[in-house]
Amino acid sequence: MLPFKVTFKTGTPVYEQVLYAVRKALVTGQLAPGDAFPSVRALSQELKINPNTAFKIVGVLKQEGILEVIPGIGTIVSANYQPPNKDRLAFLEDTLESLAVKAKQLGLSRDEVVEAFNTHWKNL
Amino acid sequence: MNAIEITGLTKRFGRQDAVRNLDLSVPAGSIFALLGPNGAGKTTTIRMLLNQLRLDAGEGQLLGTPIRELSERDFEQIGYVTDNHPLPDWMSLDYLLAYLKPLYPTWDEALCTRLYKLFEIPGTAKIRHLSRGQKMKAALLGALAFRPKLLVMDEPFSGLDPAVRELLIKGMLELSDSEPWTVLISSHDIDEIERLADHIGILRDGQIILTENTNRLLERFRSIDLSLSEERPLHEDCLPPTWWCAESTRKRIRLVDTAYSAEATQQLLSKHFPQTMDASITPMSLREIYLAIHQHSGSK
Repeated sequence: MLPFKVTFKTGTPVYEQVLYAVRKALVTGQLAPGDAFPSVRALSQELKINPNTAFKIVGVLKQEGILEVIPGIGTIVSANYQPPNKDRLAFLEDTLESLAVKAKQLGLSRDEVVEAFNTHWKNL
Repeated sequence: MNAIEITGLTKRFGRQDAVRNLDLSVPAGSIFALLGPNGAGKTTTIRMLLNQLRLDAGEGQLLGTPIRELSERDFEQIGYVTDNHPLPDWMSLDYLLAYLKPLYPTWDEALCTRLYKLFEIPGTAKIRHLSRGQKMKAALLGALAFRPKLLVMDEPFSGLDPAVRELLIKGMLELSDSEPWTVLISSHDIDEIERLADHIGILRDGQIILTENTNRLLERFRSIDLSLSEERPLHEDCLPPTWWCAESTRKRIRLVDTAYSAEATQQLLSKHFPQTMDASITPMSLREIYLAIHQHSGSK
């Protein structure tokens, strides 16, 4: 079983969806520094994705310093990895987009929406 | 480099062209899915590729060898799994594997054992007593254990239950850590291969009507659903040729955009449908794209 969950939806490249799922697992702590990361074969088999895609995913994560290879052990989440703020923000992307779309459809101004948001923020 | 390269492939049965002037390039290292309805020519194409069926016209090469010159040496690197190619049914699986092993210099015993465990096929029962799914697993096991450079699968999933399909795919992906290997898979089970295939070829009436990289295909197709504020007769001829009209009622129109880009599509929409109340643009699954292409090519 993989240490993160991917719910595939059509229309978005598979590798982007898997990278998203991995980053999400890192932000939420499901995947922690030092945790073992699945091999290309396991990734491909578990998600039933093209092995080249799995290879690309692991490659990108290594390049970003998220994964490192420990000889004799395998691939792990880098011991000193901290998810950057932009990754945390990325998980609001969908919500922000639909908020913006809804607001425009309703003919609200940006200031009106920001003001309403500020009120909610203060009330928390 | 291409693992498979064919041009002008043609096969006639009597006066009927089963396959007509077919070109196909399968890049090395890719998983190429050949899609099409029954009778489109998938099996005929595959059998010609493997030199099992004489070509009436055309030429091609597999792993660098011209099709007509394929010999036993070449088949040591090519795995072939098909529903209509019976296994010797008086053998048991154990017997079959022992028989196959010395025929392939690259036979990987460790991989064979792993697949044997994964597939859970009874090893001592005669193949004729195995279920359909078990036979397919046995065939795949025999074709994977020598780590083929090219794996050709003709309708491997048809008539099998989802659990067996899953297992077959998992087994196939055991090869993921091999040197670059190429898969050509013919199927009409599109859902199974949506995330697996990186190239798609669609066959219809013996001809290839589309070959494309899967990601590019998924990126450029969108379903557009329009609600119009006023009724308006739809003149399909006036629409951009990249738009296919899927359905239309009095105030609703569903289009398939085959050349989607956020900006260009938006511009075309405001030009052609200024009276739109609501437009939703949604990505399409491979199955939906396949059906749209099929419908469109039939209406031409």
